[in-house]
Amino acid sequence: MIKKVLGIALKSGVLLGLATSPAWAGGDLAMAKKEGKVVWYSSIALPIAQQMCNTFNEKKMGFECVLHRSGSGKLYKRWVQEAKSKIFEADILHTSNSGHFLTLQKQGVFIKYAPEGTEKFPAAFKGDGGYWTVLRSFAYVPAYNTTKVKAADVPTSWLDLLDPKWGGKIVNAHPSYSGSVSVGMSMLVKEFGWEFMDKLSDLKPRVVQSAVDTTTYLVRGEADITSGTASYNLFNAIKKGEKVKMLLPKEGVPFVVSPQAIFKSAPHPNAAKIFSDWLFSKEAQQILVERGLYVGHPGVKYPEGQVPLSELKLMTMSPEEATKMRNPIRDAFRKKFGV
Amino acid sequence: MELILTRTLARARAFDATAIVWTITAVLLVILIVGPTYFLVKESIFIPDEVGLIEVSGHYGLGNFIEVFTNDLYLSPIFWTVIVSISVGLLSVAVGALMAWAVARTDIPFPGMIRTGALLSFVTPPFLGAAAWVILAGPREGWLNHVYRWVTGAGPDSYIFDIFTMPGLIFVMALYVIPLVFIVALSGLNNISSDLEDASNIAGAGTLATMVGVTLPLVLPALFAGLILASLESMIIFSTPAMLAIPAGQHVMTTQIRAFMQSDDYQVGLAAAFALPMLIAAICLIWSRRKALGRRGYATIGGKGARRRPQKLGGYRWLAFALCVAPLGCSLLLPAAALGVTSIMKTYGGGLQLSNLTLEHYDFIFTNDAVSGSIWNTLLLGAMAATAGTLLAGMIAYISQRRLVRGHQFMAFLATVPIAIPGIVLAIGLFAAYTREPIVLYGTLWILFIAYLTKYLPIAFQTSNAALMSIHPELEECARILGANRLAVFAQITVPLFKAGLIASWILIFMPSIRELSSSVLLFTTKSKVVSVVILDFYEEGRLDIVSALGVMLMVITLFVVIIAYRILGRDFMRT
Repeated sequence: MIKKVLGIALKSGVLLGLATSPAWAGGDLAMAKKEGKVVWYSSIALPIAQQMCNTFNEKKMGFECVLHRSGSGKLYKRWVQEAKSKIFEADILHTSNSGHFLTLQKQGVFIKYAPEGTEKFPAAFKGDGGYWTVLRSFAYVPAYNTTKVKAADVPTSWLDLLDPKWGGKIVNAHPSYSGSVSVGMSMLVKEFGWEFMDKLSDLKPRVVQSAVDTTTYLVRGEADITSGTASYNLFNAIKKGEKVKMLLPKEGVPFVVSPQAIFKSAPHPNAAKIFSDWLFSKEAQQILVERGLYVGHPGVKYPEGQVPLSELKLMTMSPEEATKMRNPIRDAFRKKFGV
Repeated sequence: MELILTRTLARARAFDATAIVWTITAVLLVILIVGPTYFLVKESIFIPDEVGLIEVSGHYGLGNFIEVFTNDLYLSPIFWTVIVSISVGLLSVAVGALMAWAVARTDIPFPGMIRTGALLSFVTPPFLGAAAWVILAGPREGWLNHVYRWVTGAGPDSYIFDIFTMPGLIFVMALYVIPLVFIVALSGLNNISSDLEDASNIAGAGTLATMVGVTLPLVLPALFAGLILASLESMIIFSTPAMLAIPAGQHVMTTQIRAFMQSDDYQVGLAAAFALPMLIAAICLIWSRRKALGRRGYATIGGKGARRRPQKLGGYRWLAFALCVAPLGCSLLLPAAALGVTSIMKTYGGGLQLSNLTLEHYDFIFTNDAVSGSIWNTLLLGAMAATAGTLLAGMIAYISQRRLVRGHQFMAFLATVPIAIPGIVLAIGLFAAYTREPIVLYGTLWILFIAYLTKYLPIAFQTSNAALMSIHPELEECARILGANRLAVFAQITVPLFKAGLIASWILIFMPSIRELSSSVLLFTTKSKVVSVVILDFYEEGRLDIVSALGVMLMVITLFVVIIAYRILGRDFMRT
């Protein structure tokens, strides 16, 4: 398989850039300029991803960042489909489904690359074997609309979310689409058993595709409460003045890490490396932090109003486990939630 | 004239291109229709054994069909598709036919306004309607539910509209199918002289008795045709269910097909096995519609020979007017207002205050590379498909009408067939056919181009055919006698004469192409995104503000095209 992918990549000439230098060396700016652009398959919320690209493009490095933003599941599927058709457009993959990264790494489609400065990152932000690095992370948290939910009703435990009183008022995102939901749900099922999903589905939640969308449902008041949304997205809604609030259940919250890796088949390998270096630089990581994310860079300053990582009780899961849980979660969800 | 004839004469000596044209047309039809259908069937009987990341190996069998038709998970979408299609069909025929009767046969006020309104809602992309109705009738925060609570003083949790239900879905789908039935029924009514109705009136029957006893039986075939068209539309539509049924926790067949195609596992076979019955159902529907209409096919309009005398509605005139305007208000005015307002609001919670107004969403859609690129792709694809489709359809219509080559019936048949191929089914076929060697089109605009061209070829073909029928062959024969070849005659005699038909074809392909979603959603790639796909993406991210801004833009473009079409072709250009 590895040979096959490599063969395809070589045939289409995309590895020419790599052939001259060892895979782990940094990108060559002159070659990157010749490559002209870097194509970033990213699942980070669009305004943030766009801001990253724009900030980078303003530097006029001689090549452009081209963004393709979609959900983790769709990006994975798309890359695989494109690879099948021998189309190699993507240079970098960045999603919230670490299970996908493990699957792809085992197929040997990534290069080993540690972006500049990441050696100082905490171990939790580095993938085994050096194939990927965690670009950003967030908690998968429940949240509620403050105008709809009375203080006395605010849940303090994940199990409080299963109360029949939330029937028809709760919103839930889809694990096939959203990597954070897939990983978050896996951790919750591991913690509370499949019963958790059964009882949640009994509430007939509104099912949306993206974890980002759960926040907008809350914001619009179309739902009172969500069983899980991305904490960074919530942070931004609150900063914008929307009347929503994060819940921190006593059992802790799933911690979702979103890795980033460079494809062996990258048509712009040097640009990919240089862009990766920048994404993990203090400047870029500070942008992510301002947007409510948690990052590995030790030098960043977290914004006011952000819950420090140290105050969060984190649930974690290895990529191996996340991979194992992915399909059972998806199938159970399909059965119980209908879509 | 003489000059033209001399020129055609000169060209005629060069070579006769009939054989070449025939070959090209035949090859195109094979690429557009036969290839995708072949691969669709092939995928449906392919059972994967070993699924690698890239290589898939397997054997052939009926396992996919068995899985799809025995698993409860997949039977429920089939069940709901049937329920929804029939409900939307009946609902829209009831409303659309009454509207058509009122406009064609009564003294209802402002019939022209109702006609224009129906035309405009006919060209409005249904997915914009769906998104707008989420804003209007979401159970908690929908505008209409706010109005309801304000009027009745009901509690904050009570509501009367919930768009995220199957009735909600049927309602929104019907809104955009009603105009279709209206147009079909109206042309049916216009075709029938009102002599019989007059006779019934003279014999003493009232308005109602005449309508039920005389008019209704006369237009029954047209109504049946309308019902079938409406049910077919509702069966194959992807966008509205994707936006409304999925949040309601229910798949229909089209959304299930996309779910198969997007699965991490290799489920193309299941998608194909799901798509084939849809294809067969569509073919049956089209066939029964032909039966009902006799041999007239799409051409429900002949001459307007007969005079018509309007029935007097008396005091009910304004009631009838209100009833006709209601569905148009729901499909046009309310959605336009909902999208317009949402597109200029900073936060959802902030309400309509000056401090909460912004143009940032419009700024975003025109400055964001991915979004503005998709706008460009959409317009380019629309123009490409329209141009190629007009030429191809014109040529096939010409060849088959003038019986130029043997097998011309076959060519006409092939150009009509795609009307029975649902967009999402076509997309699976194209996907299966053109993601592999020898022709890899996936990842380029070409695969979308082929999808649009195939999908809208029939409507262009029928338009060209109808227009050609009115041109007597004697002028062409004259040029032929003087020595011009077929191609020259076609280019210099026929084309100038049926320019209007060609322009109508162009517009009739361009308009649906720029809002096409059910094929595009399976065929787009990073480089080849179109506006409809971007709108669905943003909808699924919950970005109703950006959806609204894009929606307003799309509505403006559509309106612009309609106005141009009116200018060039007059009001009747949709009557094909």
